[in-house]
Amino acid sequence: MSLEFLNAFKFLKRETFLHNLDPRAKLLFAIIYTTNALLFTEIIPLLLLFVSLIPVILSGRLFKMWMKSIRGLSFLYILVLILNTLFLSLNFAIAMILRISIMISAFSIFFLTVDPNDLALSLISMKFPYEFAFSFSLAFRFVPTIAIEAQNIIDAQQSRGYELQKKGIINQIKNLFPLLVPLIVSSIKRAFNVAEALESRAFGSNKERTFYFIIKYNFKDWLFTIYLLLIFSIIIFIRIQFNFLPSWVSWSFPL
Amino acid sequence: MGQNGAGKTTLIRTLNGLIRPIKGKIFLNGEEISTKTIASLSKNVGIVFQNPMHQLFSNTIEEEIKFSLKNLDLSKEEVQIRTQSILKQFNLEKYRERSPFNLSGGESKKLALASVICRNPQILIFDEPTLGQDAKEIKFLIDLLESERKAGKTIIIVTHNIEFSLEYIPRTILMANGKIIADGPTREILANKYLISKTSLILPQIFQFKNALREVGIDIPENLFKQKEIINFLNHYFEIKS
Repeated sequence: MSLEFLNAFKFLKRETFLHNLDPRAKLLFAIIYTTNALLFTEIIPLLLLFVSLIPVILSGRLFKMWMKSIRGLSFLYILVLILNTLFLSLNFAIAMILRISIMISAFSIFFLTVDPNDLALSLISMKFPYEFAFSFSLAFRFVPTIAIEAQNIIDAQQSRGYELQKKGIINQIKNLFPLLVPLIVSSIKRAFNVAEALESRAFGSNKERTFYFIIKYNFKDWLFTIYLLLIFSIIIFIRIQFNFLPSWVSWSFPL
Repeated sequence: MGQNGAGKTTLIRTLNGLIRPIKGKIFLNGEEISTKTIASLSKNVGIVFQNPMHQLFSNTIEEEIKFSLKNLDLSKEEVQIRTQSILKQFNLEKYRERSPFNLSGGESKKLALASVICRNPQILIFDEPTLGQDAKEIKFLIDLLESERKAGKTIIIVTHNIEFSLEYIPRTILMANGKIIADGPTREILANKYLISKTSLILPQIFQFKNALREVGIDIPENLFKQKEIINFLNHYFEIKS
């Protein structure tokens, strides 16, 4: 069992065009790509969308981490592939895999390049209450921590004879208890600890909170936004006019 | 021993196959372990990790022990007998029907110990066993180590507790930056100022005390390093003087 795909959420500070963009612009990027992926069920347009993500990934120097998160999700791909091929068709299965990859890549780019603190700031600038924004960014900050903890639990249980693989669905579900119970218990304990730490530092004592850092929508952010909107309108146009496009666009595996 | 991040925990995790080495080979009783499963290795190598909360999940303490014994191909009676004796050995009998989550920090650590030791592995590995333990619990741990050692077990302990290892652990391996930098008798390694400074440890109080005694002119022999020995020596020394 590997929890490597959770690396998709681990932020690392770097100096690239992508990292320096405003979090809101990147959120828009993730949402637009997800919507685009949901508009199509054909292989070629999804493939083109997927390919168009690669320059973005390369510009953020995220290729290795992105590959890790894609590889970590291979079990999901296999599941999607098998289920869709069995019940629908191979073409649809491949399209679905591409769709999932696009969505995961888009959000993985977002989380890899957005500092959790900036995430809170951008939520506040979108008029979310501070408590909400803070707990949201806190949740993301704890994803890698909990992943490490889960690995420790697996290790500790295996050291006393616990076996990960078991035969039969009921046994497999039963087999989850030794992992889930400690994970949930320690997560709840941590939540209490965090709450106490926050309270001891007077969290929420002042309604009007000020911030040390401020985020600003710059020229390059507007440029990126315009580019995104342009792509989005083209995609929507293609979707509407889909039946009038040359036939290679709706190409599928001859089966 | 070694500073945080030196690779101690990583090293012990390789011993029962939780982490497989990229380079090099690991031998256990003369056999290469790379082809063996974690399940079969953990019959011989029991690791007790730092945080007991990472492994407790059952409704009662008795079930917690039985879970550890489940995969050993034992008969029902044998499981019962072993559970009984281990609970007795660890003074947990009175809590047997209680939830493991109601135990105190020290007692849950004890239970985690019990849940590994009941499997009777040949090699016992402890990650920071003295962390957060009070004096009485440490005394219990020491007695336990002694009896396991007498039973012929190999015991490996990862610790930062320098006084503890000086007193009770005969051999020390020092690690820094993922490498083993020293291996030898504890009293020689922990008296070595150069090695100590390299691993962000501090000189054990006993050695500091001995150095201080030498400075005031009391010539204390090199081979004394236990509390009792030094007390005896000083008593003797002052008797002669007066």
